[in-house]
Amino acid sequence: MKSIYKLFAVTLILTVFASCSNDDDATEELMGENSITLEFDNSVGSDDLLLATSSYTNSQNETLTITRLNYIVSNFRLTNDEGEVFTYEKDDSYFVTSEETGSTEVVLENIPAGNYVSITFGIGVDQEKYLQGAEGQGDFLTVAEETNMMWSWQAGYKFLNFEGTFTSETITEVTDFKVHMGSHGSSLDNYKEVTLSLGTDALVSDEMSPIIHLVADANAILDGENKLSLTEQSVIMVSEEKSPQVALNTASMFTVDHVHNGTGDSH
Amino acid sequence: MKYLFWVLLSVFLVSCSDDDYVAIENTLLTVEVPENFPELAYDIEANPPTQLGFELGKKLFYDGKLSSSGFISCGFCHEQSSAFTHHGHQFSHGVNDLEGTRNTPTISNMAFFNEFAWDGATSHLDLFPIIPITNEVEMGETMTGIINKLIADAEYQKEFEMAFEEGGVNAENFLKAISQFMVMMISSNSKYDKYVRNEEGGELTEQEAYGLEVFQQKCATCHATDLFTDGSFRNNGLPPNPQLNDIGRAEVSGSDSDNYKFKVPSLRNVSLTAPYMHDGRFGSLESVLNFYTNGMIESETLDDTLRTDDGLGIALNDTEKEGLLAFFEILTDDTFINDERFSEY
Repeated sequence: MKSIYKLFAVTLILTVFASCSNDDDATEELMGENSITLEFDNSVGSDDLLLATSSYTNSQNETLTITRLNYIVSNFRLTNDEGEVFTYEKDDSYFVTSEETGSTEVVLENIPAGNYVSITFGIGVDQEKYLQGAEGQGDFLTVAEETNMMWSWQAGYKFLNFEGTFTSETITEVTDFKVHMGSHGSSLDNYKEVTLSLGTDALVSDEMSPIIHLVADANAILDGENKLSLTEQSVIMVSEEKSPQVALNTASMFTVDHVHNGTGDSH
Repeated sequence: MKYLFWVLLSVFLVSCSDDDYVAIENTLLTVEVPENFPELAYDIEANPPTQLGFELGKKLFYDGKLSSSGFISCGFCHEQSSAFTHHGHQFSHGVNDLEGTRNTPTISNMAFFNEFAWDGATSHLDLFPIIPITNEVEMGETMTGIINKLIADAEYQKEFEMAFEEGGVNAENFLKAISQFMVMMISSNSKYDKYVRNEEGGELTEQEAYGLEVFQQKCATCHATDLFTDGSFRNNGLPPNPQLNDIGRAEVSGSDSDNYKFKVPSLRNVSLTAPYMHDGRFGSLESVLNFYTNGMIESETLDDTLRTDDGLGIALNDTEKEGLLAFFEILTDDTFINDERFSEY
């Protein structure tokens, strides 16, 4: 038996070496284009996010029950192993992901074949896009409205809509919290971008359409790099101080958990 | 004809259900920038006004369908005879007899501005209509609700398809049509304009010329350019109405340093746009001038230009006030308020 293991190990090593030396050839073999699916898997710390069900206690000793987690992701860019950047068509690159409606997948179509090593995207709507007005909006405004992501009183977008109830040491009665974050007219730009290494290359070709499984840790929104206490302020919407902190925290909540390479129809 | 449109014919094809092609003529309208005006702020190339787009925008502007009750159109509060303000109303009135907390501002020369609403809640003209449409005390509708109503209306469907090459009835084209209407609403033919451009009918009386001089010395820092605003947000020292405590620009920015700041309004057609101030508290221009001389209160965010060695406000004697009132009259643009292109009927 042992020798079989040895043989297996040697074969494995050889295969690895072989595929290494053939890397360039392999890239050339990736032809055509296909879609990439991004799955935004919302969690709280290491737990799955269950809306209006589980409660989560954070490092500030506040216990949250989350009823809504919607956010806008946008402006996708993919970098391949040769450092080339593919930028997704801007007008088509705005998506609302919503835990309550279950639309947590973003499908990027017509991605050219390649070995992609990292992904960059925005959280929210950039000022450049906003200042195009209606141009290129298509139906995004109504999509945002239907998912509670339109900030209608300022004709803008909520980049993040995070709501629920909480209790803390001093607030013992169940109390609503609302965290809405977006840019403040022309005075404060809260759009942020994040670049994530994929760990495993995502392979795109005529035959291969990978799924990138991202985890979004909702705990980071209030309990990330910046600590925001709901006990102190349970409704955070337009605050020159707190909104940028929420924006930074939100941008840092994403990690790539794993990549599925293949035909894209199975996990 | 002052408003001469340089008409370029563009012909595009609209597909019919039976696969015949019918040529629909749409004409591109050219926005003429008055020579005494600054550059356009609106990106005409992104949404070039056309005859059919403009007409569609006008129809939408005057259609109560845009509100939840079916009765409150944009034109309900923005009446042409009052330079597209709500004459005699301190606050905007909306569905179910609800009332807003701010005074309806004028719609004219919007294509020259970068910030909209008293607090600059949006920085793009196209997106502005969302604010009154979705406000519960104004039109009380949703964008989705309106688009669905328009989709269900065969006439609108046809008009959208004729006005826009792609997309048909959708939020983008809906907002573009209304913008095309507003972009064309340029008021630039007051006696003052004619005076500045050395045109016939621009001869000022002694009193009017004196008023202009006083204005340039004492008011034009904020009411700058021939748009009569520098577009900035300032606290002009109005005592806040304790029942509303409207903090203005700070609502948008979330910054205490913007407390009680409101956008400097244009003074075009100011004689027609009573009441005055963001909350419509003053019924006459005399009261406005009296406020600037004696009514101001100190606060942290009060505009520095209104603090002088002699105290707060703008020093004006009675002669100067009379001059200013005469000057305000020459900002009235009869051509604009009677222009049939913008009329409801």
